[in-house]
Amino acid sequence: MNILEISNLTKHFGGLTAVNDLDLTIKKGEILALIGPNGAGKSTVFNCVAGVYAPSVGEIRFKGEVISGQKPWNLSRRGLARTFQIVKPFGPKTVLYNVMVGAFLRTNSTKVAREKAEEILTILHLEHLRDRLAGNLTIADRKRLEIAKAMATDPELLLLDEVMAGLRPTEIDEMIGIIRGVRDRGMTVFVIEHIMRAVMALSDRVVVIQFGSKIAEGTPEAVTKDENVIKAYLGGEYGVSGN
Amino acid sequence: MTRKQLDRTLLCVGAAVAFGLPQLIDSPTYLQIIILLFFYAYLTSAWNLVGGFAGVLPMGHAVFVGIGAYTSTVLFLQYNISPWIGMLAGGVVAAAIGVIIGKPTLKMRGAYFALCTIAFAEGLRVMIENIDMLGPFKLNGPRGLLIPLKGDSLAAFQFMHKEPYYYIILIMLCLVLAFTWFISRSKIGYYLGAGGEEPEAAESLGVNVANYKLLAMAMSCFLTALAGTFYAQLMLYFYPKGLLGLDLSFEIAFIALIGGRGTIAGPVIGALALRPLNEFTRIYLSDQLPGLHLVIFGLILILVMLFQPKGLTAPLSRIYERLAQAITTPGGEKS
Amino acid sequence: MSALYQSLVNGTMMGAMYGLTALGLTLIFGVMKVVNFAHGSLLMVGMFAAYWLLKITGMHPFLALLIVPPLLFVFGYYLQDLVIKPVFKSERGVREPLTVIIVTTGVWYVLDNLALMLFGAEYRTVRTAISGTSFSMGEVIVSWPKFAGFVVSMLTAVGLWLFMLKTRTGKALRATSMDREAANLMGIDQYKIYNVAFGLGTAIAGVAGCVIIPFYYVYPSVGVVFDIRAFIIVVLGGLGSIPGAILGGVVIGIIESTFAQFMTSTWTEAIIYGIFLLILFFKPSGFFGNKQDW
Ligand SMILES: Nc1ncnc2c1ncn2[C@@H]1O[C@H](COP(=O)(O)OP(=O)(O)OP(=O)(O)O)[C@@H](O)[C@H]1O
Ligand SMILES: [Mg+2]
Repeated sequence: MNILEISNLTKHFGGLTAVNDLDLTIKKGEILALIGPNGAGKSTVFNCVAGVYAPSVGEIRFKGEVISGQKPWNLSRRGLARTFQIVKPFGPKTVLYNVMVGAFLRTNSTKVAREKAEEILTILHLEHLRDRLAGNLTIADRKRLEIAKAMATDPELLLLDEVMAGLRPTEIDEMIGIIRGVRDRGMTVFVIEHIMRAVMALSDRVVVIQFGSKIAEGTPEAVTKDENVIKAYLGGEYGVSGN
Repeated sequence: MTRKQLDRTLLCVGAAVAFGLPQLIDSPTYLQIIILLFFYAYLTSAWNLVGGFAGVLPMGHAVFVGIGAYTSTVLFLQYNISPWIGMLAGGVVAAAIGVIIGKPTLKMRGAYFALCTIAFAEGLRVMIENIDMLGPFKLNGPRGLLIPLKGDSLAAFQFMHKEPYYYIILIMLCLVLAFTWFISRSKIGYYLGAGGEEPEAAESLGVNVANYKLLAMAMSCFLTALAGTFYAQLMLYFYPKGLLGLDLSFEIAFIALIGGRGTIAGPVIGALALRPLNEFTRIYLSDQLPGLHLVIFGLILILVMLFQPKGLTAPLSRIYERLAQAITTPGGEKS
Repeated sequence: MSALYQSLVNGTMMGAMYGLTALGLTLIFGVMKVVNFAHGSLLMVGMFAAYWLLKITGMHPFLALLIVPPLLFVFGYYLQDLVIKPVFKSERGVREPLTVIIVTTGVWYVLDNLALMLFGAEYRTVRTAISGTSFSMGEVIVSWPKFAGFVVSMLTAVGLWLFMLKTRTGKALRATSMDREAANLMGIDQYKIYNVAFGLGTAIAGVAGCVIIPFYYVYPSVGVVFDIRAFIIVVLGGLGSIPGAILGGVVIGIIESTFAQFMTSTWTEAIIYGIFLLILFFKPSGFFGNKQDW
């Protein structure tokens, strides 16, 4: 079953076409990676799916229902959660508070929300930072907090926008483990990622876009051998072999 | 003694002192000063729901004090409706107006919101100063409204002595503090805090930020208007410039910031710090040097913002924590 | 008909001066993203400076224009450097520097009441070389001091605009207003720029003081009268926009003088607030504001 179906998605910003006639589907339970050079339109795809932007053209279906143009808070109620490429912690609040905000989506009880948040902090190895202010965390911890907040809403589909960027190699390995764990809990994961090593290790399928259009799709191995993809990345800073 | 017991004991002692105070103080002047202190602490707590929890800066809240005072007084003078009922009516009117004005403005950035609330408050004040009759309601323009003496009467919300007023505002203050405490620990409080900080992130977690801010605004305006009725009954006279002017609006915001925006105790600590100072400098210094008390007021504000930008509650609670640790037996429950 | 022309001319001239009072506010907001609540008080300081200068020396008000604004520049520069900057720094990570707004309110209270302590509450006027003179243009009578104020306001606005476009400092100011971090990376000292912006805004309040004093009185809380109007003007014109400030000022001035023919001045005030709220509801970014700014 397809949990997300994007058809003919186009998004213009004034004269600029950030996403151009994109088709894309995700099956329930898989990990799909969306890759492409800087400015290719990846985050814009996420923002359209998550309800931040209304698509200019095209249709987005989530669990079979059309959701294009819906507000973000309604979508998260339906089971869609996302992280932001530029992390947005509630800075002056504690880590626990941050995650509880997410947990409140499924409960009105503070006690239940706290228990839920603590459970998620444990899964993400953040429990020792529970009472720290989110604004004081390291970048790696902020990225994990971003995932924790999203996971606390009990999503069926989780959109992760470059959660590895800026992490050290050991932290990347840890993050790969975390994301696998998330999938094993039954969530479908849609990631945007630049770090090819992570993409290779994680994803069941990869979609490559350039200038807003899809240029390749397939298994990680197939995609890295694709001529168009190599050309798109040629001379770029992202060696397909990973960095 | 465990930590929880200490907190409870102190709370009980505080309550006992507060409720016993009128027995110790004979002078109605001093009692009046304390009544006004509670009145300001109450207003600031109500303000805090928007200004503290929802993360915007309303600078015209006096207008809702005025709406409360006018609503209950007009109902009492013209229709003989008890101010207690008028009080609730004023709250409802204020909440409705708060929602109408909040709908377009709460979306804006903080600076715009602050300016809009000022302009709205001043606009309404000027309007009321120009209106003698609003349809069937007599507002009496700039001269304001005078409530005739009825003698001691609970129904008419009038008392010959200060004590009843003292207890009424004390109970109102306790209730509003309990209410903000409850809100700050509830889903609404978490959602307001998140939406005020990073609206986009909050929305992605399922928070309809605009609606929650409106809810905070409605609650805050409702509670603020109740104090307006109290003020009218305490003074038995009010006029637009005195009640709806910017001075009151600003003082509420100042107390909140000096005490600690978004904290439960902040309004009380801020009022405790500022009100007595304000009253005494006004009484003892304003004859020789008019304006000195406001210079001091402004300087304190600047100094607190420079050295304790989170307000006085933050260092005070740190001191309290340290003392509590010294007194209590370790291993007590975490608060 | 001539009454209408008369009120249009008066409204435009007064409005340009309102625009002048709003110019500093909009400049400071544009660069620092802070609404300076003390702006009216700075105007009051400017008016008192001009008042005492003219009163004691009896010099021509145009000459005062060479003395008062530079003084006010220094005053504003150090006010920002010593009082506002520290708060700004402590709030660096915060998106909306709301504490700074409150500090400027504290400055307002201190300045207004210091003036009250020093000079008392009475309204003061000073007769200058141009006070009370006028000339006629057809049927319309034009007051010299207001006409001079109009011309000076326009010149100041154009001057400021050119300054922002052409000079190094102006470019640094604009760069900082667009993107603090980027400007920082380019080697612009953000806090120095804030000092300059605050100094310039205050100097413009000094210009306004000089042109208003020949026909208006000064007293310690005079700033409040202009303050609220300046807030409305900058929101109308778009916070941060120089032409917007002047245009907003002229609009307010014309509304005021036209409506004044049919109703009392307190009602005109109420109508200005009403129009302001309507604009907020329908076009909150004003005439020239950036969408992102609100
Ligand atoms: N809100 C917006 N308004 C105007 N243009 C935008 C907006 N958001 C994105 N763009 C433009 O759309 C294009 C695609 O941006 P997008 O952020 O989706 O790229 P990306 O693939 O996520 O890049 P990166 O790898 O750098 O994150 C870019 O040219 C960007 O400048
Ligand atoms: Mg991106």
